[in-house]
Amino acid sequence: MPRGLFLKIFLWFWLAAAGIIGYLNLALWISIAADPNPERNHGAFGEALNLYAESAVQVYDREGTQAFAQYVSRSMTEAGSEISLFDGSGKPLTPQSSSDATSVADQVRSTQQHVSQVTALGRITWGREVEGPSGKNYIFVTRLRQPYQPRRLTAIQVTTAILVGGLIAYLLALYLTSPVKKLRSTVQAFAQGNLDVRVSPALGKRRDELTDLGRDFDHMAERISILIDSQKRLLADISHELRSPLARLSVALELARKNSPPGAAPPLNRIEQEAERLNELVGQLLALTRLESGAERVPAEIVLLEDLVQQIIDDANFEAKPLNKEVKIIQLDKCRVNGSAELLRSAIENVVRNAIRYTAGRTTVEVGLYWKLETAELTVRDHGPGVPEAELEHIFEPFYRVSEARDRASGGAGLGLSIADRTVKLHGGTIQAKNVDGGLLVIIRLPLAPSQTGSSGSQDHAIFSPAPLASG
Amino acid sequence: MFTPMTSVLLIDDDTELTKLLQEYLEEEQFHLDAAHDGVVGLQKALANQYAVVVLDVMLPGMSGLDVLKQLRQKSSVPVLMLTARGSELDRILGLELGADDYLPKPFNPRELVARLRAILRRTTGGGISASGKPLHLADVELHPDSRSVTCGGKSVTLTGAEFDLLYTFLRSPGKIISREDLTQAALGRPMSPMDRSIDVHVSNLRRKLGTYDGNHERIKAIRGSGYVYLLPGEQL
Repeated sequence: MPRGLFLKIFLWFWLAAAGIIGYLNLALWISIAADPNPERNHGAFGEALNLYAESAVQVYDREGTQAFAQYVSRSMTEAGSEISLFDGSGKPLTPQSSSDATSVADQVRSTQQHVSQVTALGRITWGREVEGPSGKNYIFVTRLRQPYQPRRLTAIQVTTAILVGGLIAYLLALYLTSPVKKLRSTVQAFAQGNLDVRVSPALGKRRDELTDLGRDFDHMAERISILIDSQKRLLADISHELRSPLARLSVALELARKNSPPGAAPPLNRIEQEAERLNELVGQLLALTRLESGAERVPAEIVLLEDLVQQIIDDANFEAKPLNKEVKIIQLDKCRVNGSAELLRSAIENVVRNAIRYTAGRTTVEVGLYWKLETAELTVRDHGPGVPEAELEHIFEPFYRVSEARDRASGGAGLGLSIADRTVKLHGGTIQAKNVDGGLLVIIRLPLAPSQTGSSGSQDHAIFSPAPLASG
Repeated sequence: MFTPMTSVLLIDDDTELTKLLQEYLEEEQFHLDAAHDGVVGLQKALANQYAVVVLDVMLPGMSGLDVLKQLRQKSSVPVLMLTARGSELDRILGLELGADDYLPKPFNPRELVARLRAILRRTTGGGISASGKPLHLADVELHPDSRSVTCGGKSVTLTGAEFDLLYTFLRSPGKIISREDLTQAALGRPMSPMDRSIDVHVSNLRRKLGTYDGNHERIKAIRGSGYVYLLPGEQL
C-alpha cells in the first residue's frame, strides 16, 4: 500500500486538479449566465431587429392579425423566437404573450425607449415602439431564442476530467516517490548491516535532486563501509595478537606445572588466574570496542526474551551455587524484542554476573521480566552493598571503579556493565541502576518487537505489573 | 602401563603454540601432528588416519570453517574447533558445519586434553555400546551398530555428537532430559557455565530430522529444565 509522501502528493495534486476543473466549470457557467451582451442592442444585429419590427408592424397595420400571424410564423418556427405585439396602450394584440414580453412592453411604454432584457440563462427579450403606416403606435416585443446555450460541461465530462487529473496525479506521485522509496529501502538495508548496498543502480538514468541525494548516500556508504571493514580487521588482528601469547602462556604454564615441585603450585596457580583475568579483559575490551565502533550490527531477528533470560538464569545458578548464592526468577512475562540474541545474552549475563558477584553470601539475586505495553523491562536486584548515590550514573562507564567496597578484590574487570550498556543502547533500549533497600537494582528496558506492542498477544500478561521489588 | 599413542592433527598457524602443545600432549599419550595452514591441514586430515582433528578457526589463507566444510564432504573424523573467545558466530557456524565440540582460545591445555578424551570415548565405542538393538520411534530408525539413522526411509547424516544426542533422546522419548545430562551424553563431558553447544547440537538435529507430519516439533525445549523428544501426536 502506498502511503506517506506518495499518498500526500497523489491526493493533494488530485484535489488541486479537481478543484481547478470544478472552479473553471462554475466560472464559465456564471460568466455566461451573467453576460448581458450589450453589443446585441447595437450594430447589425440591432439594425436587423429594428427592420424586422418595422416590417412586421407594417404587415399588421395594413393586412391585419391573420397576415401578421403568417408573417411571423416563419421566424417563430425557424428561429425559435416568440413574437408579441401590443398596442400603444400596452394591450396585447397577439395571443399568448409571455410575462417577460408583457413586462418589457410595459417598460417600453413607460421609457419610450428600446428595451433589452436578459432573462433566464441569457435569453434576451427585446422590445421597441414602432409607428405603423396608419400612424398607430405599436409595441413590438420579441423573445429571442437563447443566443447560444451556455455550455455547461456534463457530469460525465467533469468526472472524466477529474479521473484524468487523478491518473496524472497518481503518475506524478509515483514518479516523485519511487526514488525516495528505493532510497529508503537501501538505507534500511544499510542500517541493518548490509554495507554493500548502493542506491545508484536502482535509480537508473534519472537525473534530479533525488538522484543526487542517492549518489551522496552511495558516497557516504562507501566511506562508512571502508571504515568499518578496517575497524573489523583491526579488531580481529588485535584479538589474535593479544591472545596468541596468552594461549602459549597457558600451555607453557601447564608444562611448568608438570615439571615443578609441589611448592611451586601456589604461584603457578596465581599466574594461571592472572592469565585468565587478562584473557577475560581482552575479550571484554574487544567486545566493547566492537559495540562502540559500529562494527557490531543488530540483526532484525526476533528474540524470545523470556527463553533467553531463563537460559541465562539456569547458567548463572550453575555459577552461583558454589558461592552459596542463588538466582531466582520472580516474574517472567513473554517478551519479544528485535535484535541479536547473542549480544543481548552477553549484556544480560554481564548484569546478572555482576549481581552474583556483589550479592552477599546466602542471599538471592532476583530477576524479573515484565511486559509493559511498549517495552520489555528486565530487573536484576542483588542484596549487596549497593553503590554510593553520587556514583550511580558512572557505573556503566568503562573501567569505572566505585571508591568503596566494590573493588578489584571482588574480581570485576569493570567492563561488564559497559558492555551491557552499549548493547542495550544499540538495541534502542535504556539501562539504569538504583539503590534499593540493601542492594542494587539494575533495570533494562528494551522496545518490544512491533508485533507485540499494544494489546496484541498480551492477554496472558498483567498489563499493570506490580512494581518490582517495591517493598524491598 | 603402556598405552598406544593416539594421533591427533592440530591445524593452527601458531608454530610456537603447536610446539608447546606437542610437548604437553606427548606426556598425555597423544601424538600431535601439526599443520600450519588450511590447505596443508586439509590434505593431511584427508590423507591420514587421525583419531581427532583440532582445528583453529582463524587461519591464514583458507579459513578453518572452509577447511571443516571440505573435510566433512569426505570424512567423518571427529573435529574439535578452536574459536576466538566472544566470537559466537564462528562457534555456531562450526557446530552447524559438523564440528563435534569447540574450545574457546586461549584454553587451558588440561581442558583440551579433557575434551579430546571425551570425544575419543564417544567415537571409539566408549559411549554407546556398539551392539545395541536398533531403536524405532515413528518414522525414525537408529542403528547403534552401524551408527546410522534413517528418517522416513531416507538416510540422515549425523555427526557423532548429533547421533549420540538422538540416541539419548530415543531411549527415553517423551521424558524431559536436562541440558546437563544431554551434554554429558552427547559430548561426553560435563556442561560448563555459559555453554550453549548442546543447544546448537539440538537445533542441528531438529533441522536434519525435520518435523512430524502436520508441522509438529519433534524436540521441544522445556524452559528451565531441558529438552524433550515428543512422541508422535503428543502436544505439550
